[in-house]
Amino acid sequence: AQTTLDEWARDPVDPEIRAHVYSLITALGGIGEDGTYSLGDDALLCLKDLRRWLKFGDGQLNRRDVARCMAEANLVKGDLLEILAKISPRAIEDTWRHKLAVAALELLVPLTWPFEIDPVEATVNHYQHGPYIQLAQIGYKRAILQFDRDRTLQTAVKIALPSMAVSLRERTPRDEGIIRIALYFIRNIAMLSPPNSAPMDTDEAEVSRSATIDTFHEQDIFQVLLSASSSIGEDFVTQDVIILEILFFLLKGIDAEKLFMEDKTLRGRNADELRNLMQKEKAMLAGYARNAPTRHNRFGTMIWVKRDDEKVTTISGQDVLGKAQASMRKMDQTKKWNKPRRPAKKTDGEQEREEFDLPVSLTSTARDHIKAFVEEFLDSSFNPLFLHLRKAIEREAERVEIRHSRQFFYLVSWFLRAECARRRTMKERAADSKSAAVLTAEDESYGLVAEVMNQETFILLNRFMQKSQDEKAWQDLNAGMKCFTQILLTVHEMSESALEDDQEIAENIQNRIFYEESTHDRVVTILRSYNGQGFGYLDAVTELSHVFLRMLERYAKQNVDMQIRSKRRTRKIKKRQIETSGAFADEEGHASETDDIQQAQRTVSERKFDFTRFAAKFVNQSSVNTFVAFAKYFADLDTEQLKRAHRFFHRIAFKMELGVLLCRVDILQLFNKMMKGPDGLDTESHAYKEWDDLVKHFFRQVVKKVQERPELVVEMLFSKIPATLFFLEHGYDREVTART
Amino acid sequence: GTAGNGLGIDEEIIITKKRTPIPKLDDNRLLSDPGIPRLQRISKERLRFKGKGHEYGDIARMLNMYQLWLDDLYPRAKFADALAIIEKVGHTKRMQMMRKGWIDEGKPRRTTEWDDED
Repeated sequence: AQTTLDEWARDPVDPEIRAHVYSLITALGGIGEDGTYSLGDDALLCLKDLRRWLKFGDGQLNRRDVARCMAEANLVKGDLLEILAKISPRAIEDTWRHKLAVAALELLVPLTWPFEIDPVEATVNHYQHGPYIQLAQIGYKRAILQFDRDRTLQTAVKIALPSMAVSLRERTPRDEGIIRIALYFIRNIAMLSPPNSAPMDTDEAEVSRSATIDTFHEQDIFQVLLSASSSIGEDFVTQDVIILEILFFLLKGIDAEKLFMEDKTLRGRNADELRNLMQKEKAMLAGYARNAPTRHNRFGTMIWVKRDDEKVTTISGQDVLGKAQASMRKMDQTKKWNKPRRPAKKTDGEQEREEFDLPVSLTSTARDHIKAFVEEFLDSSFNPLFLHLRKAIEREAERVEIRHSRQFFYLVSWFLRAECARRRTMKERAADSKSAAVLTAEDESYGLVAEVMNQETFILLNRFMQKSQDEKAWQDLNAGMKCFTQILLTVHEMSESALEDDQEIAENIQNRIFYEESTHDRVVTILRSYNGQGFGYLDAVTELSHVFLRMLERYAKQNVDMQIRSKRRTRKIKKRQIETSGAFADEEGHASETDDIQQAQRTVSERKFDFTRFAAKFVNQSSVNTFVAFAKYFADLDTEQLKRAHRFFHRIAFKMELGVLLCRVDILQLFNKMMKGPDGLDTESHAYKEWDDLVKHFFRQVVKKVQERPELVVEMLFSKIPATLFFLEHGYDREVTART
Repeated sequence: GTAGNGLGIDEEIIITKKRTPIPKLDDNRLLSDPGIPRLQRISKERLRFKGKGHEYGDIARMLNMYQLWLDDLYPRAKFADALAIIEKVGHTKRMQMMRKGWIDEGKPRRTTEWDDED
């Protein structure tokens, strides 16, 4: 079919829908004679009609035409916000005004509801309107945050206040509905963020996280969140997940550690960061200048590289003159073919929004505001809210959706980190003899976060991690790992607390965590099975195994006769049962019998824990591959991350004496590149010296080994087979002892 | 080609232009003379180490040897890509058998085995 210009110019929206919606919006009201907004005669009915249109057209017909029309007609900024502003001073006193306000809010919530393209439900229509609506929603957010005639978010809360004041038992479904709407409105505003896929006209700073936080502070939304979450379970029940989402979208990506740094240290740290970055850039430019051409680009140098069998390779460019390594590099770089790679998975809108591995930076005012909120939240609301949420997740309550578990565990890790950072700062302040601060955190113990440091949470976390691992839900597993790591770190800090109670509790927790062998196995399996899940995930995996191994090592040293509970299969029992059951077993009895057998198959037994044997599980080709994948990002890693990789390789090569696992050409090349460049580690940095030591020692080991066993030259191309591993490392075969 | 022996003479000949197959870096190529056997040869002839104090230089020379060898064996691929391909080829049964064989060749005769019992 031929397409004509007319067809392109055709209105994407059904003209009849447009006509109806526009006439309703016009009838809603407009600028009156006194220059302020004046309501139309039937404004309330118009609002209700508009809502019906939105519900019917978009909900039932599964189209987005109405939402698009409303966006084009500037309904939110032109009418709804004006209406709310007009009636907000007397919104609660007057039933008619209150109704009007609720109706306006009932329109605002679905309009700001983050737009999602559901691959199952979506029609062409959704794809057509999607980008437009997404951008329009950012416009809504901007209008609401920057609106100067009214505090819209506060008005929304004000509208819900009468319903909130009613005690839980006497609340009508309508009251519950109004509260829900107000909270969802706040959530939507916190959640909306500029899409990565579409370009924007507006200034990003006006809709950034900092702007959101500043507005929340200015309009006292934080107070609302605090009072709702501290009285959760009493006055509020079903609202817990909405608060969870608000918190998630407010806090994700913010560095909890930096938040609690003293201003002075933070400034110092920021200055350091800037200095380091400038230093890094300087080193980079110097590295380039070393190899840059010294004459103009048509100077036309060409060299021959002599090779064996009388062959030569020609390379052009003066940058390779007199430098053997540079010419080798250039030979490689000029090759055109690339090994085909799996294309990266496309992330949809929801994943993009849920992404918590992207760091967010805040302005200093926003930082102060969110810090104050987090402190108050920890003091008053953390325990009740997270206890309530945990129970809801355990019960699989109807309101809990899949994403909520992920958000829950991410926030647990976030708040634990924040609490630890806060205590550290307090300690520093108290240690400083000049300051007047007294040690307050020390007296309080870790009770403020106690509700997530109990056995119930650990069980839930274990189940969650196992489940997401089985279902390959990597982002879930990522959140679970972050949470587990943070729990381990918190327990560690607790064990070093000055209070004896804290130490005792820490020991108890460690007992419980390290008692289950299944936990140990899970950490190892996750580390071994990394396969391109992205950097955030990789960072979480390596951190978890680093922290876990370190803590376990310390713990095992302190508790020499440590026991663990392991699940073992006992085949004998199964066999015996099958024999005794005989051939006469009827159908009905059979089912329960297989259950019995399965039970019998897995018996639980205790045995002595041997750390060296456990550590050996960490040392194998696949975990090496995971850490190599991590080390490949060396240019972007910070000191702590580089240290993590360093410790692992050090453990492999020297502690466990399995350096042969690292004897692979690609790993050698990576190490060589890290140390000797081009684009290697900054030679001035502290990490460089550590790595230099490691790599030099390791390289010496490799040279020695290759000289002793020339067969390594070929083996160096491959991952090692277990059968030959021992011989390659030691030069003789292991005595094989028959397994008893 | 096995065609052209006169048996299919009545059938209509359909000419389909076939793409020239892209050479693969597979186990056959790796085991052919310019592959592993050559690597074993050149490593014996050329690989000289300076030892202590020259760790980086020694490894760089070794890496260069691999790079030039791979450039001869499979000029199409960049060094890192070729290494990745070969690593994968090493997982096949045949390669694992061969690798085990090469290592066993280098082992000392089985006479001193009794010594290191622990």
